Amino acid sequence: MRGFTHYISGLAAVTFFPSLVADLRMGILVPVIAAAAAYFPDFVDFKFGKFFARRDYEIDPAPWDEKKHYAPKLVKIKDLSEKNRYQFFAIEGVVEEILTKGSGTMSYEVFDEKGNVETVMEEYNTIVFTLSDGTGKITVEAFGDDYEIFEEEFGQIEEGKKMLVFGYVDIDPDGSLRFIVSDAPHPQGIADTIADAIEKAYEEGEKIVKIHNIRLPGDVYRRFWVHLDPPRREVRVEMGPIVTPGGVAIGGEPPEYRKFGIARVNVPFIKTYPKPTRIDSFSGPEIAFRRTKHQGKTVVKDRFLPWHHGFSHSMTMGVIIGIFVFLFAKLFGYSHATDLALASMIGQWLHVFEDQLGFMGSNLFPPITKDVIPGFKLGESGSGLTNFSTAWLMIALMIWNFNRFTDPRPIPIGDAKLLLYLIWPSMIGFGIAIAKSFKLRKEIAKLMDYYTNLEAFEELEEVGGI
Amino acid sequence: MAVLPISDLLIWSFAGVLFGSLISWIPGFHIYNIIALLVAVFGVGELMPVQAFPFFAVGAIVAYAYVSAISSVYFSVADESAVFLLFPTQRYLLLGRGHEAVLLYLIGAVAGTLILVFSMLFIFPKVLPPIYQATSPYITYFLTAIVLFMFMSEWPKEGDRGKTVRERLWLAWRQILGGIFVFFLSGILGFIVMNTNILPTTSAYTRLTPMFIGFFGMSWVILNILSNPPMLPQKPEDKVESSIYNTLKASFGGALGGTIAAVYPIITGGMGALVAGHMTSQRGDDAFIISQGVNRVLYYVGAFSLLFLPNLRLTRGAGAWLVSSLYTPKSYSEYIAAVGVILLASGISFLFTYGLSKIIARSFNVMHTKKVSYFVAAVLVAISYLLTGWMGVVVLFVSTAIGLMAAAFNTRRSYCLGGLILPVLISMTGHTGAFMHLLGLG
Repeated sequence: MRGFTHYISGLAAVTFFPSLVADLRMGILVPVIAAAAAYFPDFVDFKFGKFFARRDYEIDPAPWDEKKHYAPKLVKIKDLSEKNRYQFFAIEGVVEEILTKGSGTMSYEVFDEKGNVETVMEEYNTIVFTLSDGTGKITVEAFGDDYEIFEEEFGQIEEGKKMLVFGYVDIDPDGSLRFIVSDAPHPQGIADTIADAIEKAYEEGEKIVKIHNIRLPGDVYRRFWVHLDPPRREVRVEMGPIVTPGGVAIGGEPPEYRKFGIARVNVPFIKTYPKPTRIDSFSGPEIAFRRTKHQGKTVVKDRFLPWHHGFSHSMTMGVIIGIFVFLFAKLFGYSHATDLALASMIGQWLHVFEDQLGFMGSNLFPPITKDVIPGFKLGESGSGLTNFSTAWLMIALMIWNFNRFTDPRPIPIGDAKLLLYLIWPSMIGFGIAIAKSFKLRKEIAKLMDYYTNLEAFEELEEVGGI
Repeated sequence: MAVLPISDLLIWSFAGVLFGSLISWIPGFHIYNIIALLVAVFGVGELMPVQAFPFFAVGAIVAYAYVSAISSVYFSVADESAVFLLFPTQRYLLLGRGHEAVLLYLIGAVAGTLILVFSMLFIFPKVLPPIYQATSPYITYFLTAIVLFMFMSEWPKEGDRGKTVRERLWLAWRQILGGIFVFFLSGILGFIVMNTNILPTTSAYTRLTPMFIGFFGMSWVILNILSNPPMLPQKPEDKVESSIYNTLKASFGGALGGTIAAVYPIITGGMGALVAGHMTSQRGDDAFIISQGVNRVLYYVGAFSLLFLPNLRLTRGAGAWLVSSLYTPKSYSEYIAAVGVILLASGISFLFTYGLSKIIARSFNVMHTKKVSYFVAAVLVAISYLLTGWMGVVVLFVSTAIGLMAAAFNTRRSYCLGGLILPVLISMTGHTGAFMHLLGLG
């Protein structure tokens, strides 16, 4: 659920305590602590937890320019190395020598929506030249659609011409660096690193991958998707269009030949959520790959945002918050310390419960429970329907309680009738959410079917059936 | 005092729409400031009958809610720097789709008008009074809660790329701390402006005007000048990319946020939008712009309309306070007349905004925003001087600096509302004296 939905649950929890409502009426605002307690799990995770989290692999497809805080970073040729393969940079230099200029036919693989591969043959124009920036020189190559754009931008490329080139770093068979003109990084680097992390997790237990997003000038982002495909044992990364922070695509689709990166994974892994991971605005995700058992077999399982929904999202934490608030309130001589502590604990518990309605689930009773208890899958955390239904329910409960605890009652009707008048929008919303959740559950069941066949898949592989 | 004949009300409402339309597209101008200036310089009662003033104001405020889309789309900062994050409307402008952004906004504004009119006729008179009565003793609770949520929910825009934990924390928290700093700095300025005689007592109704011009108007204009935005060709085609679902969802969210802001004091449209955006989990640039249209109509026009509701009689917003100091409508016939004026004014404002947007889109690079901004900056200084004297100009400069700080810290501009929220909270909780003492003022 979104932050305010949790927060308003804390506000509502307060109103169930007549003593706290009376305080609020007198202008004593201390009970607002309960709302902060209800929001606390997300606050601590997103303001602290994520920055403390371990990162075994850091994937930055397009490092930021340190001054401008967006990509591509303007680099010196001497600073580039094999480690930068597939990363997106800008180089400013002078054309030293034109090596080749011509045309040819290239072939590359594209994937349809089902992940099937098709080989495409295409005519292309190309130019290869060396660029020098005073710190070194590098071979630059522009071909295909990128060549057309490159020629449009710079006109005739001649020796001695000064230019600012965008593109990604690649490595020639002889080990030397090459700079490929493009408007995006190549997705192969991302796919390779994730595949490596999964394999290492299988050997060593757990690996956490941080994937950075691609921010471009003008506060826009290059969208890309990470598809984990357990039955095919593949990690596929698809480079997408440029989008605004609001998610509107504004063009800039990469050409097909550098749109996909595919990496083979040599160990079994499973995916817990039926959709690919989309990376665009705000920040990139962290994914933990953990070795685990599935149907008696050792596999690697993914966990999105491993620092989220941990101890902070447990019922145990609610008890700790309650104790802390009680002591704090007592220390400052607040007369309704017990009620405030209970409201704060209930607020935090409501947060945990509301998140449990979604997918991620939480580790509910640490240290008794060790791992996350799966969510009820009623709707995604960003679902407008479940967020509104919950928030409205809390508003309704607040009005209801304010009315109950005021004499004479501002709304002079019976409690049950008033509650019914107030909560019907939430009831309808939850009803629709439950009906919609069946579709999603079906998708997950389908995904689980994949995993059930995983064993057969591997046996076939062993005897050379695939 | 006798109610004016309907023909007179129509004439004065039309005058209000015309007045509002003519000034609301200019960046940095706010209808409340201009109405205040009008009252201060020309007075009401001589040129215009006092009973006509609320209807003149409705016309002008409706026009502002519509026509101000022009300034926020075409004349706001749209630089390439990463120091300042862009609003969706600014991104549309950079893509040559400024007119589309205006159309999206207008869709929202029309939806907002229909929701408002429907609510005024069928919901507000019955539902608002009991709900307001049940919740009004707890307004300080809601206000404090929203302010606390603003701080707690600030999304760190940086921090991910720090090399060490310490560096990541610092990058994330410098923005959050910057926001808190801006809020308290604004709050202290607001407290001084409200509780001392730094500004002349003759400007009782306009003493906050220079501060708000500085926070939101002047700082915006200065950023326009500093950023020197590119004047990119705009497509004047009548085409929008959105969906019925997004429009309905955005209208719902915008109406929710706008209503919260309209009904409860101090809570502004931006704060209401923050709350409603979370409640309805709103996403997408098109949805954002549409919801802004709905929100601003509900917030500005809805808040002002509450002045007309006889069984509630709520004075919300600077416009309502200014008008109610001269004349408060009392009868249901005036309430119904206000509904009619809102519809009429909305129709005129819609056509005016649409036409103006077409003209500007076609000739966008004729006059550079930077030149317009110099002119507006001079006018804003003049307004501040006319309303509050030289000390008002000093307040304007200080608040402009605070407004620029919010932009520099890459934090929410709405933290500048601390200038209003903090002194009101201090006053509501009875700590004005202690705070005066703390600042060495009493």
